Amino acid sequence: MDFSSVLSGFTVAFEWQNILFCLLGVTVGMLIGVLPGLGPAATIAILLPVTYNLEPTAAVIMLAGIFYGAQYGGTITSVLLKLPGEASTVVTALDGHALARRGQAGPALGIAAIASFIGGTASIILLTFIAPALAGVALAFGPAEYTVLALIGIFLVGTLGNGSVIKSAAAAAAGLLLATVGLDPLLGTPRFTFGTDQLADGIDFTIVAMGLFGVGEILYNLEHRDRPQTGVPSFGRAIPSRLHWLQSRLAILRGSVTGFILGILPGGGATMSSLVAYAVEKRTAKDPSRFGKGAIEGVAGPESANNAAATSSFIPLLTLGIPANATMAVLFGALMLQGITPGPQLMSDHPDVFWGVVNSMYLGNILLLILSIPLIGLFVRMLKVRPGILAPITVVITMIGTYSIRNNAFDMLLVIGLGLLGYGMRKLGFEPGPFVLAFVLGSLLEASFRRSMRIFGGDVTEYVKQPVSGTLVAILVLTVVIVPLLRKVRTRQTAGAEAAGVKAD
Amino acid sequence: MADTELEAAQEEADEPRAGGRVQSIAAGAVPVVLGGVAAWLSFGLNIGSLTEPGPGLWPLIVAGLLVASGIGIIAVTARSRRDTEAFTRGTIAVLAAAGGLAVYASLYEIVGFEVPTVLLMFAWLRFLSRESWLMSAILAVAVTAAAYALFIIGLNVPLPHVIVF
Repeated sequence: MDFSSVLSGFTVAFEWQNILFCLLGVTVGMLIGVLPGLGPAATIAILLPVTYNLEPTAAVIMLAGIFYGAQYGGTITSVLLKLPGEASTVVTALDGHALARRGQAGPALGIAAIASFIGGTASIILLTFIAPALAGVALAFGPAEYTVLALIGIFLVGTLGNGSVIKSAAAAAAGLLLATVGLDPLLGTPRFTFGTDQLADGIDFTIVAMGLFGVGEILYNLEHRDRPQTGVPSFGRAIPSRLHWLQSRLAILRGSVTGFILGILPGGGATMSSLVAYAVEKRTAKDPSRFGKGAIEGVAGPESANNAAATSSFIPLLTLGIPANATMAVLFGALMLQGITPGPQLMSDHPDVFWGVVNSMYLGNILLLILSIPLIGLFVRMLKVRPGILAPITVVITMIGTYSIRNNAFDMLLVIGLGLLGYGMRKLGFEPGPFVLAFVLGSLLEASFRRSMRIFGGDVTEYVKQPVSGTLVAILVLTVVIVPLLRKVRTRQTAGAEAAGVKAD
Repeated sequence: MADTELEAAQEEADEPRAGGRVQSIAAGAVPVVLGGVAAWLSFGLNIGSLTEPGPGLWPLIVAGLLVASGIGIIAVTARSRRDTEAFTRGTIAVLAAAGGLAVYASLYEIVGFEVPTVLLMFAWLRFLSRESWLMSAILAVAVTAAAYALFIIGLNVPLPHVIVF
């Protein structure tokens, strides 16, 4: 492994404008983490046009900061109000809020921040060692391997996400179909353009992400806008005692490992790993009955896990070019907009971007730890801003951003249409995540499929016969076995959370 | 404690209701129809063969997947599961918002962004968010001014605008 590029990444990460964008990113992330409604994927999508004029490293550092910053922010409302700002902090609400009701909100938040910091940082260190090896393997991948890999990605996101598997498959297929609009990637024949020039270049990824995540979420929330205003319990100083630390340090360690491993899995991500970590803590505890009544391990485990997973979910994106979850799909788009193709070449072609972004996460985690302790009060006060006021402001920013992509009002109508589609999908029980992910991977999947079919002379069984793609097919089959197990854990934990009256967005 | 219970009750009232049978079947019918249309359009393109795939082959495969999963949804979820959400009176607000946005987008290139933005903000705040007349008016103008300062003066985004400094 080339350590000089790792080190020069620190130089990039510590350039003053990158520090500034990192700070900006984590602050925005924490803020949207606190506010229920708009998630990190939506926020990043809405901010994509703003990043057009930024330098690639700065842009990705900021957007990445939003993603992992949101994990910190979501915790605050989970603990204080039992209103998880993010899905990945739902289980934290169980014991976190119980602690808050016993007057221990401060220590709970403190442990959560420390656990998040340790989980995140441990995950960056592991990433630093594992990513180059994985990228090295992936360099040998050809069209056949990429076909199978993209299928694994879409499959896992579809099955590990919320909601029914078959609906995710339908959503993914619709996303793949939308990706075929425009010119044929190999032959240049126009497809599904309905004779209009506006669609000849295909639909810009930013439009799809902004429409489905941004406008779609705003429209969806419009229907359930009467969220009761709740009082905030007093939380004192967010500094845990020695006893809390002793009780939770092993949980933090286990959570970090669980989170790191599950984060790499496409579709695993932060939510799944926090649920699994909670289950692990409950199982290993001497007295499981304490859980749900204010066990500090029930905060420490999931919090370290969701941050570790948030970080490790960058691995498939940065080394294979396969986004592991919806937010990574948006970041995939952000990199493409900057003219950078995520994949095994990224580390050697753009070492400054790769290591600059990775190493900025150390800084981001430190900033979050520093920010989260004194600023909790400030962030909580943000909750007093009514969602009804934030929604139209977000819409206006989205619209202006959309227009600025191509100076084109047609794109604005597309975003609105896709927003309605996103709303309709949610109402009919479809997840927008698999749709957007499939849209992102659509052209890669089609091009790899067609190239490999040509190489194989039309013989589909070659996918299994070739050693490397055969191995990947085996992995695909293996995941089919593992996935139901993970789903079972999730269903059980989510049911537990729901029984305790925690509602995710 | 009483407060917490009240909260929980309110949250439960807020919980979206599951949609009916028709909606469950529609969730499967929409992919089937969409896939069917896409398949029909794919045949209009050149399908080619597995060895020499034409532009229509991939869309046809994807359309097939869409139809298959749509049928699967009708078969599986329409009977057993309630994973849809019923449309409520709030749906009208959603459609109104989308319609308002479409008007907003169409006005953009004709009269610039200032007037439509003020109107959109005001209408949204007053009628969808139920803010007071005064609050809505102040916020509408303030947000538009802030957007002007940020995007046109600050970031130099070439938005169509009528006010020039």
